Amino acid sequence: MDRTTGRPNHIQDYLIQLHPNQWFTWTDSKNKVYANLRLTEKYGVNGNMISNPRSLPTEKQCTDELKKLQDAWDAANG
Amino acid sequence: MALSKIDVANMVTGATPVANGGTGLTSGFTNGVTNASQWRMHTDLTGPVDPISANLEKVDTDGYASLGSDMTVSSGIWTFPGTGIWWIRGHGNLYFNGDSRHQHFAIHTTTDNSSYSLASSGYSSISKVESNATQQSSDVDFIFDVTNVTTHKCKFAFENVTNSSVVLAGASTHNFTWFQFIRLGDT
Repeated sequence: MDRTTGRPNHIQDYLIQLHPNQWFTWTDSKNKVYANLRLTEKYGVNGNMISNPRSLPTEKQCTDELKKLQDAWDAANG
Repeated sequence: MALSKIDVANMVTGATPVANGGTGLTSGFTNGVTNASQWRMHTDLTGPVDPISANLEKVDTDGYASLGSDMTVSSGIWTFPGTGIWWIRGHGNLYFNGDSRHQHFAIHTTTDNSSYSLASSGYSSISKVESNATQQSSDVDFIFDVTNVTTHKCKFAFENVTNSSVVLAGASTHNFTWFQFIRLGDT
C-alpha cells in the first residue's frame, strides 16, 4: 500500500486481507515478487505455534485481486 | 612554575572523582552498554498474532550496526545472548482504512521458559481520517532482569484486535514495526 495515499500497490495488500496472521513469507525480503512467495510452516495463535493450514493463491489470483482492490480504491477516491 | 602537562600514568593513582572530570572508578572503564541490536518485521500482517514469529530480520539498511552478540529468535521466542539487565523495546506501526476501537501490541516475558505473562502493553485505536487509510502506532518497553538465558525469554504479540483487518506494517527497507534489545548492565 502506498502509505501516503492508501492506494493498494502490491500483491501483499491482497494477501494480508485474504487470511489473518503470518501465513506467508518471502524467500527474499528485498524482492517481494510472486516467485519468492512461500507459505510459513507454522504461525502463532494464542501463544501456540500451529501448523499453517493455508495454501498459496495463484499468481493470477494475486494480480487480479490486487487490481480489484485498486479499482475499489480509485472509485472511492476519484 | 605552572604545569602544562600532568604525567597521568605515574602521578595519578586511585579514583578521580566525577566532580573533577574523572569516572569515579579505580580501574579501567569497562562497563557501559555491551549489547544492542535492532530487528524488524519485513512484511505486513493482520491479526491477531501471538507470538509474532515470522518475517523477522535484523536491520540491515541505512547505516545500521549492532553491538555485541545478537539475540536469537525461534518460533517467535527471543533468547538473550547473555545475562544482564536488558531493555526490551517494541514499536508497532499500524494502518487501517476504517475504524477500530482497539488493538494491542505487547511484550510478554517468561522466567521459567514456559509460562508467559504480559510485561508491557500498548493499546491503540484507529479512527478513519479523510476517508482513507489512517496510520497509528504503539510503543512498548520493559526492563528485564535476565538472570538465566535458558529460562528468561520474551515474545511480542499483536492481539485483542477489534477489527481483524487492521494492518501491522512491516518493511525491509526501513523500520515500520521493530524490536530493540539493549543490555544496560549486569544483573
